[in-house]
Amino acid sequence: KMAAAAAGSLRRAGWRLHLTLLASLSVLRCQLSVPQRALQASAVLRRVSDEQHKEPLASSSQQHFDSHPTDQQPEQEPQGPRPSSTGQGGQESEDYESEEQLQHRILTAALEFVPEHGWTAEAIAEGAKTLGLSAASAGMFRNDGSELILHFVSQCNTKLTELLEQEQKQVQLGEAEKKPLDQFLRDAVEARLRMLIPYIEKWPQALSVLLLPHNIPASLSLLTSMIDDIWHYAGDQSTDFNWYTRRAVLTGVYNTTELVMMQDSSPDFEDTWRFLENRVTDAMNMGNTANKVQSTGEALVQGLMGAAVTVSNAETRR
Amino acid sequence: RGLAAGPEMHFGFQTVTEAERREKIYQVFESVAKKYDVMNDSMTLGIHRVWKDILVHKMNPSPGTLLLDVAGGTGDIAFRFINYVRSVRERQLQRKLRHHQNLSWQEIAESYQEDKSKSLGGSQVVVCDINKEMLKVGKEKAQNLGYTEGLSWVLGNAEELPFDDDKFDVYTIAFGIRNVTRIDLALQEAYRVLKPGGRFLCLEFSHVSNPLLSSLYDLYSFQVIPVLGEVIAGDWKSYQYLVESIRRFPPQEELKAMIEDAGFLKVDYQNLNLGIVAIHSGFKL
Repeated sequence: KMAAAAAGSLRRAGWRLHLTLLASLSVLRCQLSVPQRALQASAVLRRVSDEQHKEPLASSSQQHFDSHPTDQQPEQEPQGPRPSSTGQGGQESEDYESEEQLQHRILTAALEFVPEHGWTAEAIAEGAKTLGLSAASAGMFRNDGSELILHFVSQCNTKLTELLEQEQKQVQLGEAEKKPLDQFLRDAVEARLRMLIPYIEKWPQALSVLLLPHNIPASLSLLTSMIDDIWHYAGDQSTDFNWYTRRAVLTGVYNTTELVMMQDSSPDFEDTWRFLENRVTDAMNMGNTANKVQSTGEALVQGLMGAAVTVSNAETRR
Repeated sequence: RGLAAGPEMHFGFQTVTEAERREKIYQVFESVAKKYDVMNDSMTLGIHRVWKDILVHKMNPSPGTLLLDVAGGTGDIAFRFINYVRSVRERQLQRKLRHHQNLSWQEIAESYQEDKSKSLGGSQVVVCDINKEMLKVGKEKAQNLGYTEGLSWVLGNAEELPFDDDKFDVYTIAFGIRNVTRIDLALQEAYRVLKPGGRFLCLEFSHVSNPLLSSLYDLYSFQVIPVLGEVIAGDWKSYQYLVESIRRFPPQEELKAMIEDAGFLKVDYQNLNLGIVAIHSGFKL
């Protein structure tokens, strides 16, 4: 029964928690006898994996796994955990990859079905089926498709970051010209919004789901990190703006452009890009205005201080 | 787990051998089969219907799903499954029709023909029970209520299912796992017959932690239910067994651990009515 508990707890912990496993191994060692349950369970898993063997050892979580079973070898029969480490591929590689990684794979596969089914559990079920899993595994996710949308947004943000990184490298290598700030912002926002084009019909539905209370923390954090990323790559030019207004301004530009894009039926969304250009220009001017307001304000304050000093001097002299 | 420790096991608050336990439980259900549904309604004041509805909603089956309902006896879960899938299928077809506004008469006629043969979209439920009497009652009910397609009835033991590996999308066991003598074996069998990605769902009485509710619940269980059993079904002892078996059943966390031991991942539970009933869910990943 201890062996069963051990095997069960290993699986439960997931390979993400390999550090805690290493710590607890010293305790587990004494308790591991003949792991009949472990044998039986991994025999089943091995059998399934034999049918569908994909890339089992390539995943990074493999390293995590290797760090501790070597300790366990002397205690257990060689067939013990070994099969679960080497014999599993395909969808059983969740024992390498964590459940989260499997979920990400399912969601990525589900994106293909979004144009037809929308951002729904049905799309997720279809995605799971393409991975060879039962449609019932869509039950792992919420029914409103939240995770699918958040996954997509996060993927798009990552793609944008890679794109900006590449462009920056090109500028550093001298292969490309450094863009002026307004051009840079326009291109970054356009590139990000273009990623929505394949899903544009169902995107309004996604936006409304992202506004649901339980999704707001996640969707807000994704949005702000994307905006911060763009500013990061915009570089030194961004010192024209105050840090707080930077975020707010670009977020406003992005959100309004996104909404315009939902309603845009012009060829290749040219109306949207023109709207974007105007908003970015406004934002640039706003920056100047802000500076002007600030310096005017400073001048005013100084004038008032001067007046106050003059008056008080006049008073004391009297 | 502790059940298989030796020849001594519990049958309600009695101690019996494994073989005796199986025999006794068989007799319990043999005797209550005809009045099973009536008793369920009167004991739970009809709330068991809501619990079973919640279970099927949580399952959210799509057309084409293969369900194995173990200890499914009188078919409550199976019928709900069929209703749910039928309505999802209807909605799907309506959506498809809306998109196809410009159909010729030929195409429309074809689509109606399609509908007739696929009202369930290929979904199927297999009801498996160890007790012949319960299955008999279930089959009669199905006939009376007009459930003809997508349903099959199999006599089988949850600890040793007569099915091949990797067959089913969803495995449910509603108010049955408590009566299984070797729960660990039943869980392993569940794991075996499920497809990769398949879901395990268990609806069962569980433990109430709230002290006030717990004392009221105990009072109701031990004073009212056996009396109802005697009055309605003429069988005090069976309902005494029922109530005792609920008390002996492992609590939520322990059952969760047992399910994980069988190999299921993403195991979780949802308490209904503050823990009087709990739905455990796990995936074969």
